[in-house]
Amino acid sequence: MPSADVVVIGAGLAGLTAALTAAESGARVHLLAKGHAATHWGPGGIDVAGIPAARTARDGIGLLAAQPGHPYAFLGDDVAEALEWIRSHLAAGGAEYLGDLDTPLQLVPTSIGGTRRAAILPAGQAAAMGPWASGERLIVCGVAGFKDFWPEAIAASLSRERIWEGGNRPASVTHVSVALPGLASRHNLNALEIARRFDDPAWRAKAIEALARALGAVPGSGGRVALPAVLGIREHATVLAAVREGLPAAPFEMPLVPPSVPGMRLYAALRAALLRLGGRVVIGEMVERVERDGRRVTAVVSGAAARTFTVRTGALVIATGGIAGGGLVAERDGRLREALLGLPVEAPPADEWLAVDAFDPAGHPLEKAGIRTDADLRPVAADGSLPFDNVRVAGSLLAGQRNVRDRCGDGVALTSGRRAARLLSAVPAGHAEEPGSERP
Amino acid sequence: MTIAELITEASERAVGYSSDECLKCNVCVTVCPVARVTDLFPGPKYVGPQAQRFRTGRAQPVQIKGIAIAPSPDVTVDWCSGCGWCTTACPAGVKIAEMNSQSRARMKAGKRPKLRDWGLGQTDLVGSLGVLFSPITNRVLFNGPIRTVMEWTVGIHRDAPFPKFGKRTLQSTWKRRQKRRGTMAVPGPDRAVVYFHGCSANYYEQHVADALVEILRRNGLETIIPEQVCCGLPMISNALYGDARNKAHKNIDVLAGYARQGYRIIGTSTSCTHTIKAEYREMLDIHDDDATLVANATWDICEFLLDLHERGRLNTRFGRLDEDLPYHAPCQLRSHGIGLPAMELFALVPGLRAADMDHDCCGIAGTYGMKKEKYPIGMAVGAPLFDKIRASGASEAACDSETCRWQIEKATGTRTRHPIEILLQAYRVGDVAGGTESSTLAPVGT
Repeated sequence: MPSADVVVIGAGLAGLTAALTAAESGARVHLLAKGHAATHWGPGGIDVAGIPAARTARDGIGLLAAQPGHPYAFLGDDVAEALEWIRSHLAAGGAEYLGDLDTPLQLVPTSIGGTRRAAILPAGQAAAMGPWASGERLIVCGVAGFKDFWPEAIAASLSRERIWEGGNRPASVTHVSVALPGLASRHNLNALEIARRFDDPAWRAKAIEALARALGAVPGSGGRVALPAVLGIREHATVLAAVREGLPAAPFEMPLVPPSVPGMRLYAALRAALLRLGGRVVIGEMVERVERDGRRVTAVVSGAAARTFTVRTGALVIATGGIAGGGLVAERDGRLREALLGLPVEAPPADEWLAVDAFDPAGHPLEKAGIRTDADLRPVAADGSLPFDNVRVAGSLLAGQRNVRDRCGDGVALTSGRRAARLLSAVPAGHAEEPGSERP
Repeated sequence: MTIAELITEASERAVGYSSDECLKCNVCVTVCPVARVTDLFPGPKYVGPQAQRFRTGRAQPVQIKGIAIAPSPDVTVDWCSGCGWCTTACPAGVKIAEMNSQSRARMKAGKRPKLRDWGLGQTDLVGSLGVLFSPITNRVLFNGPIRTVMEWTVGIHRDAPFPKFGKRTLQSTWKRRQKRRGTMAVPGPDRAVVYFHGCSANYYEQHVADALVEILRRNGLETIIPEQVCCGLPMISNALYGDARNKAHKNIDVLAGYARQGYRIIGTSTSCTHTIKAEYREMLDIHDDDATLVANATWDICEFLLDLHERGRLNTRFGRLDEDLPYHAPCQLRSHGIGLPAMELFALVPGLRAADMDHDCCGIAGTYGMKKEKYPIGMAVGAPLFDKIRASGASEAACDSETCRWQIEKATGTRTRHPIEILLQAYRVGDVAGGTESSTLAPVGT
């Protein structure tokens, strides 16, 4: 039974942020998760507040903070600091991000031929931002045989004015598909496989040459080229530089259906930083329950082969996610249950769960469901009391956010993860340091 | 259909029907070491939950309206190494690796197994014969031309790592020792543990057993070594489920007697202990009370020592080991779900700079990397690990699983030891430093 100062449950952005923040303060951290998810599913950008009414993310934070019950009401002031913090970690891990809270939110094209509002993007996607100059073209460039990216369909969709909400857009959108060395006859190609090939310098050189040749044959000059987000995984920065150098138009990556290569780069950078600080990461088993001593959680118990795996801990951060992540479970009788501690869930009544359109611009009613906390992220019981001294809630499990509609999930994850870890690091640990134990 | 068949089918559902939880998110594909290096394997999602929907659950094709529905729609499942990373990473709880193993067994059921696959599964038979004729077998297995012929005829790669057979089995050594000592009262479960040594310590690596016995003694515990057979994992891996069940039942029969008295069963091979803990029930469908009793009593040695430590009962008089120690966590250890207990124990040794190599798989995956057609895949899977270990410049490395140790040693030339051998070394340095009398047992190592 190992022991920790802080246990974090959940390996998404909130969990990673909390774990890394606690480890930076010198805490012994265990991060437990039942599997990979949010990072490997998402587009890899940092969405802070992508709402139509806001000009910048900073405006958006203000507007969301004014919404009743939104976590930004008490976390909004922390976003700038959290953003700077994560960007330095990501840059150190080879995943540079561009844009900030004052960068105008812009519509960037997506790989299903739509657009989304963004301001803070990985370097590989950043060329999608910035206003389109008059006459500037966009070429959507696919990889022959790769079924997660359909250049013809994407280009056809992006040629429609309404996709750009009537605003600034490319003068023309064309498409091309390129056979990359050794891939054209492949079935079941996935993004990660192509990304790994880009890591190989010899293959990369040939691939860039093939891309350049195909793009050179497209009439016109300059402009930008949208590529699937497959430009290397471990060597992404090098690959990106080489692709920029070698292509006749400014390249940017379009995030794809999972597995998300940009999200994996983000995960890898944060995990590596956590391990360097002595953090422990155990992925693969569900945390089943906790042990308590009155108002304190003293241990976290997860499944293991034939028995359980118990980590004694001084504090706990729950970053288990919302309905998609499994932090909230919908019961057949129309109740939402918080999966670990059975915390009261703030949610609309069951007869309001169903929406005609899951992606209605007004948002889905269930999006706001979650756990209500005080400003210190302590879960609040139904009677308004605070049942736990050393438990904090972070990420999309927090009530009051609509992160599909408002694109605020990453901002909430970062700020709540940071705050949770800081407050817990200030709580005296529930046990003494083992004599003679050294951290490796 | 008999009741037994019905029960078997129902329990297969636990694994097989978990495909219903699959979201098609591809997370499993991102962690698959085999798909990382070869196009031959399309990845765990395709051969696992995706193909599962087309499987009949039976060994033979089923005729439905005149159409034969094949038992497995995708023969590429045979390229799965069974490392289990996919199951670990899946956020939805799909038992992907287990599904692959079962469908491979179904695919091969009713067909005569390849001599090679059958032979790699028979670790007891090969081990006994190998030890019996060890002067010859060791010469043969380390002879280049003979290995080349073996590759052509049997299909075991000429460069695949092989251990040296011991001069006698651990079982016979232990019996002799007991005889010399004369009959002694067997200590109770608070003073002794039962050792499941597995094939490696029995036939090849007695020094690991010696290290275990001494470490336990230094912690006030005697070792009991009952008669036992191979855990059955090599048979599971080679699609020989029937043989594996026979082995499992034999072991459960012996071990349950001890477990019932409250003894803990300790193993030095993470793959054997995982087989007993999880696969007897999950993969082989042995669901009686004894199987559960034995599973619950079984511990990996490092897990056990760390548990002693957490309860304040571990002897921590470790001497200083001023060295860099690259450590590889075997895939089977991940499936235990217990973190990296060896790393926690290394942290108790003053001066020891243990570093988790943080690599998915060494490539051997039991017997996978020994096979002619899979050897290059295994070596490519392990290549980054080998590079890291070589680059560390360390004189030795550590790993809990025997086949991984052989693979790493062969590929890197770096001596690779079980974590408890390192801990024992630290105890002995502590003896010298602390002036305590050194142990009188045989020295650790060959």
